[in-house]
Amino acid sequence: MNERTALQNAKRKTVSYAKWGYIFILPFFVVYLCFTLIPQFLTIYNSFFENYRDGLTQIGPNFVGLENYKALFTADSAGTVRILKYLANTMIMWFVGALPQFVIAMLLAIFFTSYRLNIKGQGFFKTVIYMPNLIMAAAFSMLFFTLFSRVGPIQMLLTKWGWIDASFDFFSHRVTVRGMIALMNFLMWFGNTTIVLMAGIMGIDQALFESATLDGANATQVFFRVTLPLLMPIFVYCLITALIGGIQMFDVPQVLTKGNGAPDELSRTLVMYLNGYLTTKNYGMAGAISVIIFIITGVLGGFVYRMLTAQYRDPGRQHRQRKGDVL
Amino acid sequence: MKKMIAILLAAIMLLGVVGCAAKPAAPAAAEQGKVFNIYAWNEEFKGFFEKYYTVPEGVTVNWIINPSDNGVYQQKLDEALLNQANASADEKIDMFLAEADYIGKYVDSDYTMDVTSFGFKNADTQYEYTIKAASDKNGVCKGVSFQCCPAAVIYRKSIAMDVLGTDEPEEVQAAIDSWEKFNAVAAQAKEKGYYMTASFAETFRAFSNNCTKPWVDENNNLQFDDQITAWIDQTDEFIQNGYTLTAGVWDTEKTNQMFADGKTMCFFGPAWYYNFCMTNAQDPDNGCVGDWRIVEGPQPYFWGGTWLLAATGSDNTEMLKDIFETFTVNEDVCSKLVENENQYPNNTAVVEKYANDPSYGNTSILDGQNDIAVFANLAQNIKWENHTNYDQLLNEGLQNKLQEYYNGSVDKETAMKNFYNYVKETYANINVPEA
Repeated sequence: MNERTALQNAKRKTVSYAKWGYIFILPFFVVYLCFTLIPQFLTIYNSFFENYRDGLTQIGPNFVGLENYKALFTADSAGTVRILKYLANTMIMWFVGALPQFVIAMLLAIFFTSYRLNIKGQGFFKTVIYMPNLIMAAAFSMLFFTLFSRVGPIQMLLTKWGWIDASFDFFSHRVTVRGMIALMNFLMWFGNTTIVLMAGIMGIDQALFESATLDGANATQVFFRVTLPLLMPIFVYCLITALIGGIQMFDVPQVLTKGNGAPDELSRTLVMYLNGYLTTKNYGMAGAISVIIFIITGVLGGFVYRMLTAQYRDPGRQHRQRKGDVL
Repeated sequence: MKKMIAILLAAIMLLGVVGCAAKPAAPAAAEQGKVFNIYAWNEEFKGFFEKYYTVPEGVTVNWIINPSDNGVYQQKLDEALLNQANASADEKIDMFLAEADYIGKYVDSDYTMDVTSFGFKNADTQYEYTIKAASDKNGVCKGVSFQCCPAAVIYRKSIAMDVLGTDEPEEVQAAIDSWEKFNAVAAQAKEKGYYMTASFAETFRAFSNNCTKPWVDENNNLQFDDQITAWIDQTDEFIQNGYTLTAGVWDTEKTNQMFADGKTMCFFGPAWYYNFCMTNAQDPDNGCVGDWRIVEGPQPYFWGGTWLLAATGSDNTEMLKDIFETFTVNEDVCSKLVENENQYPNNTAVVEKYANDPSYGNTSILDGQNDIAVFANLAQNIKWENHTNYDQLLNEGLQNKLQEYYNGSVDKETAMKNFYNYVKETYANINVPEA
């Protein structure tokens, strides 16, 4: 009797709870499989077919091999390969917005987490800087469209002050249109980045900062020698997610330029191009663009990851290098 | 529990079978649906529908409204139509609205049904072109239009007085009855500090609806009609000389020109233009009601028009018939459309009544001029020909891409290249020159 209870107890002790872990994450994987992974393969599959609608008549799907890709990389009458042009547009607009986004988010994150500054009313500021992210991108874009339109308040004010000519049109200049898009992306996302970076910084052991200060390190040294290296995983995460979001930029420029990507399609992004093909449900061409966006995202993401984490990935090498320096 | 679910499922299946079996047995007239779904791209017709049509008791009307820009409305509608066969009776589209630019796409398909199948008969009072537009290649009519859209030149009296020294319609018409004369008056207006039109695309429809060949030939090659080229030439001249603005037809910058302090002499539009585009002119504080008159202008044309099409699979055929009759043959409703809504109805009897009535005049925008008489003259010239299913996006795309040329951000060659690229992208089956 006693023996059996002991055995039972022993058994109970070795019961694995790990399976519950799998059960709890199962829904995610099922959803991921159905709504992301399978569609992803279908997209690749579709990109090899001619498949669109002419009015209400379905054309195809007819297997065409790599024709869709060939069409994408064929130059038009002026010698422009459009997909490369749109890729450049996308990356320029993303970069112009992301640069201030990260600089300012980093500064704010450091201010807010500094035990020496000890800023009051943090909750308030954090809420306020996050707010632009709560507005729907399309609504935000519509707001800018109205503000900067030919008959909008900004045009009127600047004309009144004599800064611009009355005939100036914010939507017919490359710099202003791209600038507006970058500004919107910056405004919408810097709060989000600030909060993630703050979380990252707060995860660092305070004792490290204190001991660095005691050892006589100034604020700059603390930032570059302590904060930044320890924050790197979070920073890379932020940068890669921002990059992926940037490559998929769509609603802001779409609404701002009414889908035209004016002027001269210089604010047209890759996904706007993709969307253009969906007017006639052209799944072949749209699929090919999607695959290319996927490859670009993968390559750029991998590149950023490798570049930024190179010196942290192999501690041994770092150690050896240090030794070499000393010797 | 499992048993209950099984029983429930079985019951639902049985119901389905019974439902399917019952339908063909009962005549269509017997069972009418309780939900009436209408697809539309704006609220215009919804307003008239709610005012002048009495919905039968127990029927709920659902409006599904998507904007027309960039083909969004067509995309959503197509999606719903392709799913029509699988949708439950209450979710099926019963009626949808279509515009002149793409009505053919739906009329020539099986997604619309013959109006005679539910007992509607086109009346002699309907304008012939409206019937032709709603008929497929074999002449089977699939819907009706509640309006007829002959379009005119709507001009500001005070500005015409200043520019031409007269605001009498006969004399104004004599001064602009050809494009050469129209362009010459534009120069005069410019000298006096006015614009002839307020949008580079204002005259587009006057040209494009007089095309002698469709946008696409029988081999699916894109082609430019002489009328389109003529429009581009005229607009080049207008922009160069500052006779017009670089705003699009629907832009605020243009509609702001309709306020009392606007500097624009002419606008181009049919009767629906009053309420749809000229709300600024009717502004109680800054508007200028009564400072407007209409004339036939340089070239008779029509613009747009909203057709009501019967969707195949509708279970509210009685209501469809009723709606079609209300907005075409019902003289009482058509008269109200004229008197209260400034519409030009699709009913020649009503039109004649007002055209010949010396006491009738439009005072809600115009100065009491009998605009119906002017429109009635224009309506005789409307022909329905040379349309393709691609018209909406081609017209829209050409204007959008050329607008960039007119506001100075690209040269003409680039603008045209962008247009060709746009066509190629939007319609894979259209052959585009050198793109």
